[in-house]
Amino acid sequence: MSNAIDIQDLVVEFPGARGGAVRALQGLSLSVAQGQVYGFLGPNGAGKTTTMHVLLGFIEATAGVARLFDEDVRHTIARRRIGYLPEHPDTYRFLTGRELLLMAGRLFGLSRTALYARTTELLALVDLETAADRRMATYSRGMLQRIGLAQALVNDPDLVILDEPASGFDPLGRIRIREIIATLRERGKTVFFSSHELSEVERVCDRVGILAAGRLVAEGRVADLVKAGEPAVAGEPAVAGEPAIAGESLEQYFIRVVA
Amino acid sequence: MIRILILARLVWLEMIRRKDVYVLLILLAAFLVTLMALNLFGLGQAVSYLKEIGLLLAWVCSWILAVSVSTRQLPQEERQGTIFTLLAKPVSRVEVLLGKWLGAWFVVGAATLVFYVLLVLMVALRGGGFGGVVLAQAWLLHLGLLAIITALGIAFSTRLHADAASALTYVVTLAAWLVLPRVPDLALTARGAVQTGLMVIYYALPHLELFDMRRRLVYGWPPAPGAAVLLTLVYGLLMTAVFLTLGWLAYRNKRFTRGAML
Repeated sequence: MSNAIDIQDLVVEFPGARGGAVRALQGLSLSVAQGQVYGFLGPNGAGKTTTMHVLLGFIEATAGVARLFDEDVRHTIARRRIGYLPEHPDTYRFLTGRELLLMAGRLFGLSRTALYARTTELLALVDLETAADRRMATYSRGMLQRIGLAQALVNDPDLVILDEPASGFDPLGRIRIREIIATLRERGKTVFFSSHELSEVERVCDRVGILAAGRLVAEGRVADLVKAGEPAVAGEPAVAGEPAIAGESLEQYFIRVVA
Repeated sequence: MIRILILARLVWLEMIRRKDVYVLLILLAAFLVTLMALNLFGLGQAVSYLKEIGLLLAWVCSWILAVSVSTRQLPQEERQGTIFTLLAKPVSRVEVLLGKWLGAWFVVGAATLVFYVLLVLMVALRGGGFGGVVLAQAWLLHLGLLAIITALGIAFSTRLHADAASALTYVVTLAAWLVLPRVPDLALTARGAVQTGLMVIYYALPHLELFDMRRRLVYGWPPAPGAAVLLTLVYGLLMTAVFLTLGWLAYRNKRFTRGAML
């Protein structure tokens, strides 16, 4: 079975001051197996959003290869099996929540009948049934985040890419997000998400990768990162990068490796 | 094709719900009613005067609408960040570009049809009328003109902010409208590279004057030959395709700024 995400030696340069270039990613390589929940961590400016933008085809890499389910990310077909929630989701506020989901589904080529059932299911999932037929101009930030999540799931994607999914939510909303991610994992979906909420990451992720200054400085199973010495699953490296210290939390480990 | 139509429908829904078209329609109606009521300079009774002013207003209003609608589509997607959720779906950039152009053209074309209907009604109230065939030809050519203007607006907005794209589209279309027909006269007085340059400009920029049938409408002249109308429409389609292709070349590798933090 192919990996959901395969990135090899990825370099992304942006134009800098005085004709120079800023390297946002410096030879990043990582793989995410299908069915995993992968936490992509790093301080602001580490290159998390840039990586996601390369995976989604928004940015062309300066060098290196990125693939989704063995398809080059530059091809539109690679995006058929993915759902994406951006960091600051905004939307067409002149539409209602239901209209947005219907439009998103049609862009994936879903049939009308399947789409109506899917829309109702998703609106219930994100607790927006009562606001479904209201224009999104009247939605709160949390509601926009929830409808954004619903549109990311409209095509029942095999890979869900979430950029700071919990950022607009209150504590109850965060619990709901966690539940949704857990449900996706139970259904064999792959979730790749960035977050600054390390306690959330610790609870829901199978593996994490820590990015600093465009480089992957640590990677491994959460259990291995927070409990040094625990045997790794066969075929999977325990921890790549800085070794873990017994009793250390993910937050402590994170601070140590990015400092 | 279906995705292009979905995106075009989005532009249409936005226009209706933002009520921009209504504002322009109200303005046009107010102008026409004022013209009929004031009987300015004793010319109020002349139907041709009403036709001329009404058509000019319809042209100006559709021009403003075409530029403002087309130039804000792509920058707005980027500013709001909705371009990211859109392109995360199996939608290519060329589909985004074509969908936005088609939507803008359709909106402006529909509004122009309403302008014409309104004008026909106003003229009929004064006991005048238009030749049906000439009117249809004029509207078709007007649509061809709007296709070029919206394509130009979309092309500029691929790399510029909405305000800059809009200003540039106004300047280029106005220059093409007023100055371009006089360029051959200028070229006659020039020599060498300047003369060549002027002629290059003459052939490269769209000849918007070809789409103007207002005189035929105002003075009740017979319809233009069908072949001439068809050729002009083909020319319009060609210029539209050229501007959309240039827009796509500028847009296909564009790096979007909002949300693209390192």
